[in-house]
Amino acid sequence: MGDAALRYAGVSLGYHGTPVLTDVELTLAGGQRLALVGPNGAGKSTLIKSVLGLVPVLGGTATVLGGAPAGARHRTGYVPQTGSLDADFPVTAAQVVMMGRYRRIGWWRPTRAVDRRAVREALDRVGLADRAGTHFGILSGGQRQRVLLARALAAEPELLLLDEPFNGVDAVSQEAVVRVLRELGAAGTALVLSTHDLTVARELADQVCLLNGRQWAIGPPAAALTGDILRRAYGGHAVDVGDGRTVLVEP
Amino acid sequence: MIEPFTVPFLGRALAELALLALVCGPVSVFVFVRRLSFVSDALTHTVFPGVVIGFLAGGVEGIVAGALVAGVVTAVVLTLLTRGGALSDDASTAVVLTAMFSVGVVLVSRRSSYTADLTSFLFGRILTVTPRQLAETAVLAAVILGLLLLGARALIFRAFDPAGAAAAGYRIAGLDLWLNLVVALVVVAAVRAVGTILVVALLIVPAAAARMLTVRLTVMAALGTGLILLAGYGGLLASWTASVEHGISLTSASAVVLLLVLAYLLLLPLGALRRRRRRPAPARRGSPHELVG
Repeated sequence: MGDAALRYAGVSLGYHGTPVLTDVELTLAGGQRLALVGPNGAGKSTLIKSVLGLVPVLGGTATVLGGAPAGARHRTGYVPQTGSLDADFPVTAAQVVMMGRYRRIGWWRPTRAVDRRAVREALDRVGLADRAGTHFGILSGGQRQRVLLARALAAEPELLLLDEPFNGVDAVSQEAVVRVLRELGAAGTALVLSTHDLTVARELADQVCLLNGRQWAIGPPAAALTGDILRRAYGGHAVDVGDGRTVLVEP
Repeated sequence: MIEPFTVPFLGRALAELALLALVCGPVSVFVFVRRLSFVSDALTHTVFPGVVIGFLAGGVEGIVAGALVAGVVTAVVLTLLTRGGALSDDASTAVVLTAMFSVGVVLVSRRSSYTADLTSFLFGRILTVTPRQLAETAVLAAVILGLLLLGARALIFRAFDPAGAAAAGYRIAGLDLWLNLVVALVVVAAVRAVGTILVVALLIVPAAAARMLTVRLTVMAALGTGLILLAGYGGLLASWTASVEHGISLTSASAVVLLLVLAYLLLLPLGALRRRRRRPAPARRGSPHELVG
């Protein structure tokens, strides 16, 4: 049996020695989809950054693709939130996707046919083949998110991390992203995505990790996202509305 | 229109500006996309004391060495100060800028030819460029373009998406130092010809003007180079014509920079037009409530 994509044992994470997320205990196999759920500031992004080796592990052991997190960066794809990028940046959709190939291409070598083909295929997979030459900034929020997903696909990662991939995304784009994520899972790529949309987490994930300062629950959605656990993790922001349904009210 | 440039000193001035155009076009694109205008401005000022010390120690030939040392030191200091993403510490950059500039002024004020020296350091002496200086500029230009070509992909990735670049395994602080060094080398290359103050125009205006016409980075770089060439030719010609034919004294380097800025102003309406044609991005969806089954 090969190594798990992710193995966190009693991990605490933080900055300058101060923990912001503790008690993380999870194992993710290849092809599995893990959703990180929790309110704003719960530590979802911190956990994702720790997988990339960009946040120090203060305690416990974190293993990514069988080794130290920072050592697995070239096998890990990362899709940031589109909102964090400068829409005015003079770059086309295809150029953004090509960035996913940069580590393979290296410093000296010019781009080759295989790189350009990978870019075309990645854009095609997210349904934006016709927008290759379009300025990134004039695409809609959802299209930008799909371009960033295509960039990660072009790198052919074994583990893919997505930070709030459905924030500010239209229905068409959300559908396209969900379809690609399901295909990736079927092809053996392990996925970690953060979201505060519990419906998405339920529909898409094999495992849900509920976070708020610490890990509150881990397991299949039906087991990890019960009203009882949600109320404990979210405090007063989880409200029962009858019929066994719980509404989350963001503070 | 070409005849004045057969005069050797004017021909050399044009050649020097052509070399600077070759590097400043591409470099200004990186300054633009990294929003490093203020850092570039700081670099031009902090190189000043190096120029003065170099001049005091070794005369005109010492200027490049002095500027080089000051430029590299500043590039390192500014990289350390602005670590952690976007320029986080404008105040400390400004402190470094003014402190170093003051040191330069204090040093130069100890000389009896204070005013003349200060003027030539600040505004350059494009018309007294020697063949040796031309050769030095050519070597620096080759080094700068080499560094830029080698780092181009990583530098663009970092400028566009610092988190994504870090996630891909690039060392952000290393890339920032790389670009700061490139900018410092440009300042060093340009300092004798156009001075420490005017070089900042060559680092900022070309890409800002070219951006009005295109969203392609390579086209921006080429257009930037073309603009400097045009402004260089036009500026030298204007200052020659003004002083030789009309007896009006017009500093060459200032004429070049003025023409560059004029080009920028003329292109401004085009940029506004392009922006208006752009389709506005749809409003973000934000949902405060999430329903759970």
